[in-house]
This record gives sequence, structure tokens and C-alpha cells, in this order.
Amino acid sequence: MPATDKFLRPCILASCAATFLFAQTNPVTDGIAAFHRGDYQAARVNLQRAPADPRARLFLALTRAATGECDAAIPELAKGFSSGDNRRLAGLALAQCHIAAKRFAEAGAIVAQLEKQFPADPDVLYVSADYHMKAWNDAIYRMYQKAPSSYRVDQLSAEVFETQGKYTEAIAEYRKAIEKNPKAINLHYRLGRALLQQSHDPAVLEQARKEFEAELSLNPSDAVAEYQVAQILVAEQQKPQAAPHFERAAELRPDFPEAIIAVAKLRLDAKRYADAIALLDRAVKLQPRNETAHYNLMLAYRSAGRTADAAREKIELDKLQKPPEGEFTDFLKRLGDKK
Amino acid sequence: MKRALALFCAAIAAAQNPEFRNVAKEAGLTAPAPNGGTASKQFILETTGSGVAFIDYDNDGLADIFVASGPGSPSRMYHNEGGGKFRDVSAELGFTREGWAQGVCAGDYDNDGYTDLFVTYWGQNVLYRNIGGRRFEDVTAKVHLTQDRVRYNTGCAFIDYDNDGKLDLFVANYLKFDFDTTPKPGANPYCFYRGIAVNCGPRGLPFDRNILYHNDGGVFRDVSDASGISKPDGNYSLGVLTGDFNGDGLTDIYVASDQTPSILYINQGNGKFVDEALLRGAALDDDGRALSGMGVAAADYLHEGMPSIFRTNFSDELETLYRNQGKGEFRDVSVEAGMGRNTRFVGWGCGFFDFDNDGWPDLLLVNGHAFPEVDRLKIDIHYRERAILYRNDHGKFADISEASGPGIVEAHSSRGLAFADYDNDGAVEALVNNQNEPPSLLHLARKPSNHWIELKLEGVKSNRSAIGARVRVTAGSLVQTAEVRSGGSYLSQNDLRLHFGLGAAVKVDKVEINWPGQGTQIETALAADRVVAIRER
Repeated sequence: MPATDKFLRPCILASCAATFLFAQTNPVTDGIAAFHRGDYQAARVNLQRAPADPRARLFLALTRAATGECDAAIPELAKGFSSGDNRRLAGLALAQCHIAAKRFAEAGAIVAQLEKQFPADPDVLYVSADYHMKAWNDAIYRMYQKAPSSYRVDQLSAEVFETQGKYTEAIAEYRKAIEKNPKAINLHYRLGRALLQQSHDPAVLEQARKEFEAELSLNPSDAVAEYQVAQILVAEQQKPQAAPHFERAAELRPDFPEAIIAVAKLRLDAKRYADAIALLDRAVKLQPRNETAHYNLMLAYRSAGRTADAAREKIELDKLQKPPEGEFTDFLKRLGDKK
Repeated sequence: MKRALALFCAAIAAAQNPEFRNVAKEAGLTAPAPNGGTASKQFILETTGSGVAFIDYDNDGLADIFVASGPGSPSRMYHNEGGGKFRDVSAELGFTREGWAQGVCAGDYDNDGYTDLFVTYWGQNVLYRNIGGRRFEDVTAKVHLTQDRVRYNTGCAFIDYDNDGKLDLFVANYLKFDFDTTPKPGANPYCFYRGIAVNCGPRGLPFDRNILYHNDGGVFRDVSDASGISKPDGNYSLGVLTGDFNGDGLTDIYVASDQTPSILYINQGNGKFVDEALLRGAALDDDGRALSGMGVAAADYLHEGMPSIFRTNFSDELETLYRNQGKGEFRDVSVEAGMGRNTRFVGWGCGFFDFDNDGWPDLLLVNGHAFPEVDRLKIDIHYRERAILYRNDHGKFADISEASGPGIVEAHSSRGLAFADYDNDGAVEALVNNQNEPPSLLHLARKPSNHWIELKLEGVKSNRSAIGARVRVTAGSLVQTAEVRSGGSYLSQNDLRLHFGLGAAVKVDKVEINWPGQGTQIETALAADRVVAIRER
């Protein structure tokens, strides 16, 4: 069964149930009903008998798409997608036809329009996911075909391993990529991050720090690498050495809330509460739902003796720490409360 | 010359490192404490048990041992026979009940001079009244402590919160659980760990509330609502720690909470408590995140005169040390104090104890993952793990676990931990409850050369166990403070006697005791290296 058929049957069945109820014995309604039953032969025979009927033409195109005749179906599907009551169905079939033919640019344009018009439609989201997956697979295939020894292949392999939680393999691939292109930006950073994720051994901190420092030697304006170096120095109990790295990360990226919060903590340590509060205010403005920012702001107010402000921040924090509305916890909690 | 110097330095380092050995087998502690599955656990209830206690139930001056257990064995009491030997006296003393025992705490609730024992359960808790050190009677119903539904009780502590000389009782509750309705491993997103199906919770399971019972003189009355203890309703409560954290002379209560903010009930002095953990900086970590609090301990680890709080957490989290900045305002100083590196352990029992008697309380914590299934992942996180021993070097903690003897590096899935100098030789020992294994009894192979003193306090106007008494010991330039506590660590009970290392001092210049609500008593010029009994005047 063609992929388009597998997909189209259930979604058309659902949305055209009303049409089916009112079906009468004429070729168009009989053809549409047959299409919904999956009886494509009967659908084709009936729908071909009414070539002047635009609905018949569209459902004939849908039938053709469902049976793998995409090329013949596309002109009518495109028409159906441009206007009419069955725009959604036509768009879904059209996108599937382009995906099947690996015409990802065309498919992408249609998927984007469908997502805009039907943002919560599960069929649309399914086709979108299918499009992205197949486009990704296609790009990777071409990459392996055309540039198999490129460092990008190793980088991509590493990133895939990383998403799968296979950090040892990811580290090996990043190292291969670095060997091939020692000047490439981001590889040392990602290697450092994978090292931290791979192991809880404190010795790894040092290795990771070297990678972040290597990244900085290639790209001295990398605020995140700067921040990571600082974080590791803190974990290694070298807070004074970490301080300039935090400061620099915040200077490099004034919109980097974590770095701003880290600098604010330094000000708190130094009892420079007003400075800390100003920084944390900035972090809260950048990320109003950042719990770390609110928490440290509350502590800064407390330390500065501004108890009313601290209490206000506590209320904010309480709100943020409540589980989202409708979370599973609440459901079970309600069950529990019935006892 | 260089080689000789290196050898000399190595010799000094070796002399400084303790050598802990697990002497449980030789001591007679051979019965395992069952607690659910060993290869996999279907329910969260199998993961949380159980605690241990050192309690001198017969007042012979030697700390006895209690080991709480899950189904398959009664919780056991072992009598300290002297000479490092213990004898199982469970049946003859009346400890025959089997069930999901969780926590244990001690205190003389009826002020008859014999320490009583409270054991929490998933199911009904039990108050064991100590009858003259000869047997224990289950008086739960008689003293009105029977609960009206099945509850998941965890940590507990006797506490005289109103300083009336009678011990009240605090009981933490983890969550609402039953076997019929709790989802099975893998049933929903809260039942997975790193992609493998594991028992569900605590997230996704309903919260329950903590309980405070007032001692009305022989019977207890539930004052949870009236006191404000039941107000926090979004916490999975486990370890309980009592103490006067803000220095106002009233005992407060800290509760380590799993995956939710920990609670600090500040005693308002009018029978009411208010959770001020968040505002006081003791609920979350440095980044404002709620960690998986399990065990909890307190010490004046910097000689500042105020108790700071240490809490154990889950893997991929740091342990938390909250430094008391005075008046009960805390700051997370875990990393700067030297605790920024151990992130692969799930920590449970914990406690400060001065193993080398240098006057600086060191720290032991015991570990073991919640999920036996984690071993299938073949990563560096394991179900059975070694303990962690930190040496306190003037307020900075150095991890010396790997160089502290076989007792520390043995791998178990440990839970409860308690301390006592059970042979009264001046070196403190540790007792550990290991899931589905016999307990560990960690004993120092070489006694430390420093001096020490141990104080056994007896209240007269205050409660007889002196629980809540705050003690300040001055020996030369060394000034230490500590408090007599019921409960603590992870669902466990330390010996009620207070142990102080004295370094090189051969005498204690001054002992100041603040009896709970009763004023200060001063003792002077006490000789070191002995247990000293002090009665309230």
C-alpha cells in the first residue's frame, strides 16, 4: 500500500463522515463514499463519470495520490489546495506526493502553509514531522555520499550519538572531527560538553575545561565557552579564578541570563547587594520565568534588608514552582485527596 | 634527601587518614534487613527503607543497636554485650512486628528514665514504651497515636516544641501510596529513569502532609492543623532534623524533601510553626532548584555557634551544605566548602562526627541508588555504592573516601546511618542499614590520638532525655556547640550522648548547657577522655 494511501484513509474517513451520511446514489457521492471505504477501483469508476464536477475531480486526484499516481494527481491537488472546502485534504496529499518524490523544497512550502492554517491539527503535524524526518535523512544520505571523509560527517555522527545519550561514541566522533579540522568552530565546545555528560568523574572536569579553553582560543568571543570554563573552575573550588570568566561572559553577551546571574552571585558574595539586585533585575527582565534569577533576587533583597521586596520575589518564585496547570501530578493529587 | 622527605610526608598523610572497617559480622550483626526487590523494584515503597538507631535502652552505659526492616524480617534490637559484641534480643524485648518499617527516633516521652522508641511505617506507626530496660510495650493505641488511614510515614523526631518538659512528636509523610492504584514501572513518564522503566514516583504521586503530636502527659494529640505543620502541601518529606536554627531558644524543624523544596518550620513560640525555608535560603539549591532531599544533618562545622545544615540528594545533583549565616538565614556553600564533585551518588544517611577528635566535625554520608535497574545501563552510576567521607579541615571538606579503609569503599545500597561510640573508647562508630543485606558497623581500626569528651545529659525540669539541650564546650581556644537531637540523618537515631573531639586539650575548661526553656547551667574543668553525666540543676 503506498504511503500516501496509509495516511490519507484515516484522516479523510474522519473529516468526511458527514458527507458520507448524506451520500446519495449519484456518481460523485458514490465515488467519494467508495474512496472513504478504501475501494479505490469503485471510486475511480464513479468519479471519472463526472469530469465536470470539481469535487469529483479533486477526489479522483486524491484517489490517484492514494494509489501512487502522484504525477497525474498533482495539478488537481494543487488547485484544491489553493481554494475550496477540501483545502486541508488536498494540501496533505500534495505534501505527501512531494515528500515521496523527494521534492523537499515544494513539500516544505506546503507544510509551512498547512501548519499556519491548521496549527493544532494532528494530521498536519504528522505530515510535518514526516517531512522533516525524510528531509533530514535525505540530507544526511547526500552528505555521506558526497563528502564521506569530511569532518562534518564526524561532527554530525557525534551530534546524533549525543542526542541518543551515547556520549563515549560522541566523544570519539568529535575527536575525529577535530583531528580533521582543528580550526573548526564549536567542535571543542561540543566535545567539552559531551565529556561532562559522559562521566561523573571529577577528573573529567579538567579535560572538559581544556576543550572549552581550546574553543576560546579559536573564538575568543564565545560567551558560552567562557561561562563553562568559569563553572568548572567553581566546581574545582577556584572561585576567584572563575570570576573574570563570568564577568567576560556577561560582557560578551549582555543578553546571557546565566552569566548575568553568575556575576550577580559574585556581587552577593562581596556584599555589594545593590549591584547584585541591578544585575538580577536585568536577568529577570530577559527571562521573566527564570527561577534562578528570581531566587537569587529574593536572597539579594533579603541580604539587603529589603524584606518586603524579598517577600514579593518569594511569591513570584512560588508561582513559578507550581506545576503547570493540568499536570499529571495534579490529576493524581486530586485522586489522592478523595481518600 | 628528597626521597626521605617524600616518605616522611607519605607517612604523615597515612597517619592522618582513618581506617574504617566493617565489623558487623564479628559484632554479631548478621541478619539482613529485607526491603523489597534486589534486581528490580516495582514500587517506590521498596526504595525508601529503612533507618537505624543507637539507643542505650537498659542504661548500662553501652549503646545498643536497632535496625528497622521491611517485610520478611522483624525490625531487630541488638543488646551491646561489651567487647564489641551484640546479641539479638528482638523477640525477648517484644520486637516481633513485620511490615514496611521506615524511620526510627528515640526519646523518653514519659520521663521515666528509660528511652522509648518510635518506629514509623507505611501503615501504622508504633510507639514502643521502654519498660525498665527489660522489654518494650507497643502503646500506640493507648497513647492515641493510631492513625485513621494507611500513611507513608518516614522521618520522625521527638521534640519539646513548647518547652513544657514533655516530649512531643513530629512525623514526616512522604506521599500517598497504595499497591492497588500506584502505576507500575513504565506506566507513565514519571516511571522512567534514563530511558528504562522503573518504579513510579515520587513525581506523579499525590502529596501528603506532615504531622505534629502534642504530648498531653501520657497521651498524644494531633495538633498538625492548629500548629501550622500540615500547611505545606507540596513536599515529599523524608529526613527530619530538629534544632534551634535561629537562636531564639525554640526548637525548629527541618525536613528534607524529595524533588520538592525542603521545609524549615520555624517555631513561632506560640504553638505555631511557619515554613520559612525558601526565604531563609534552605529550601533550594544555589540555582533555585528543588533537589531530591533524603537525609539531613546539622553541625556547627565552622565554630560559629550556630548549626548549619547538610542534606543528601540524588545522582546528578550536588550534596547541599547550607551555612547558617546567623539568625537562621542560610546560604548554599556546597561547592566552596569542597562538595562540588560527587554527583554520581544517591545519598541517604548522613551525619557529622569527629572521627579524628580534632574538634572539627567531619562528615559521612552513605549511598545507593533508588533503582536497582540502573545497573543495566552500564554507566558510572550504580545501585550499590561506596560511602563518602569528608574530613573537615577548618571548614573546608576534603573527600578522603578512597583512602579511609575498606569499610568506606564497600559497595551497598545503603539508607539509614547513625553514630555512637558504642565501646566508649573515644572513637565514634557508624551503623548503616543496607537494603537486603546485613547492616554495616564501621569501626576505626586505629583509635585517634586526640582527646575527647562525651556528655550524657539528663533533664529534670526539662524532658529527661534532654532533647533540645544546646551545649557549648570550650577547651583552650576550641569552642564547639552541639545539640541533643532525636531523629536525624536518614530516618535514623544517633546516640543521645554528645561527643566532642578536643584535639590536644586534656581538659574541658567550660561546658555551658542551655536546657530547653530552662536557662543555662555551667560546668567547669572537666577531665578529657571520659563520658561525663550531667544532670539538670
